[in-house]
Amino acid sequence: MFTSFKRIIKFGLLGFWRNKNLSLQVIFIMGVVVGTITFLFLFEQFSNFLIQQSERKVDISVYFKKDASEESILNLKEQLNGLSGQVEEVTYISSQEANEIFIAKHQDDKFYLEALGQVEGSPFLPSLNIKAFSSASYAYIDNFLQNEQTNNLVEKISYSKNKQVIDQLFYITSSVKKAGLVGGIAVALLVILITFNTIKLTIFSLRDEISISRIVGASNWFISGPFLVQSILYGIFAVVIFDAIFVGVILFLNTKLQVLFLDFNLITILKNNGWYLLLAQIGTVLFLGAVSSFLASRKYLKT
Amino acid sequence: MLKFQNLTKIYNTPAGKIVALSGVSFEVASGELVSVVGKSGAGKSTLVKILTREEKPSRGGVFFHDTNICELKGNKLQEMRRRIGVVHQDYKLLCEKNVEENLCYIMQVMGVCDQTIKKDVQKVLEIVGIENRVLHFPHELSGGEKQRLAIARALIHRPEVIVADEPTGNLDLYNTYEVINLFKKINEMGTTILLFTHDKEVVDSLKKRVITLDQGKLIGDDKKGKFIL
Repeated sequence: MFTSFKRIIKFGLLGFWRNKNLSLQVIFIMGVVVGTITFLFLFEQFSNFLIQQSERKVDISVYFKKDASEESILNLKEQLNGLSGQVEEVTYISSQEANEIFIAKHQDDKFYLEALGQVEGSPFLPSLNIKAFSSASYAYIDNFLQNEQTNNLVEKISYSKNKQVIDQLFYITSSVKKAGLVGGIAVALLVILITFNTIKLTIFSLRDEISISRIVGASNWFISGPFLVQSILYGIFAVVIFDAIFVGVILFLNTKLQVLFLDFNLITILKNNGWYLLLAQIGTVLFLGAVSSFLASRKYLKT
Repeated sequence: MLKFQNLTKIYNTPAGKIVALSGVSFEVASGELVSVVGKSGAGKSTLVKILTREEKPSRGGVFFHDTNICELKGNKLQEMRRRIGVVHQDYKLLCEKNVEENLCYIMQVMGVCDQTIKKDVQKVLEIVGIENRVLHFPHELSGGEKQRLAIARALIHRPEVIVADEPTGNLDLYNTYEVINLFKKINEMGTTILLFTHDKEVVDSLKKRVITLDQGKLIGDDKKGKFIL
């Protein structure tokens, strides 16, 4: 049994080496499969990153009336912090702090600073800046703030005005994600089909060898085993070559890509999820190779 | 040892039914050298294909030590195939393997250990006279060398029977007699040989039993090696 297994591996290695051109072609096609998987993975990561970025940029600002006491505002802040699972962070910005932020922001703009100097004290209203865990929470928080007690304190809530923009942003991001996934899966299916046919053609070119092996009494396993070994080798080479090029490109271009893709750091993504990606790549190509070679060789093993 | 019993093979083609074999029956004893002769279309190749189970008969059976080859399936069939050495007219060599690997393959299929394989390959290569071509691939060999390799492959695992389908069909006169002498030598070592040919001179020179087929029917079984066509 072990001798047969050893021989099957040897035949697989020999076949891989002797049909170099064919092997290179299949490796290239499998490289495209690995590339598609990587693209789908990165697209998913980038979509999530975009959604997170959008969510970070969107918040609810509650502006309080001039006469609202700091104590009642901080009390409301506590209540908001108590909305577990909805509110991620609540920041209180007093009227004075808002004034300082404005000055710092416009320190080079004389026009604004002169205008501010003509007003006595801080013209800004105290506010609470609320960040939610997800977009769905904003409606809940908005609803929470709509009560008689709060209405007496609140001058305005910025969420209502931004609501449409926020909803639209989330809609666009999730639509792009869905469309990308559907497109990616379609490309993946196409590439899988091409890979299957390439392996099928490889085995087709060796159909006489298969039929002769049958005539001399070789078992199905002894005949198709080497093809399986070859498919595994195609897959491993495809993953190694693709990943070597891919990681090289990422290391070289990461800084430029970060500027291009809103600080999306590919190295961090790969550090955190690299093993999962590698597992997905190897799993897919091995499965694809094994199934393709099994289905393609089965046809010629019937004599 | 080998018993062909009422073998009939009918091919259904778009042009109609073609009867390749019709009720062919004969027996071959262990250690015999039998020539099966006939013109093209007599049914020789069909008989070889049934014997190697590339084809199934429409009726009848081929018994090898009381086992009907025609009813075997899967591993049993493959095990049976290993007990019969076949030499094809078109050689049917493994093109992706060199001479040595072609010979090793059948032994490897049978699970023979590497040391025994190495010894046997050397011995068989010497018998067929291509020991200087060990690392060459089939496309690098001449017709005669290919045929010798095919014979060596059929011989190496010491099968009980060697079936040779037109083994001299592609050879010149010199190589033809070399190959025939080789078969005689193998037969003298105790292996049963079934030689399917249409070459009268080859058959006459052997002076062994001759079975004659014509249009799928057995028309002669001569113990004295007479080519009656």
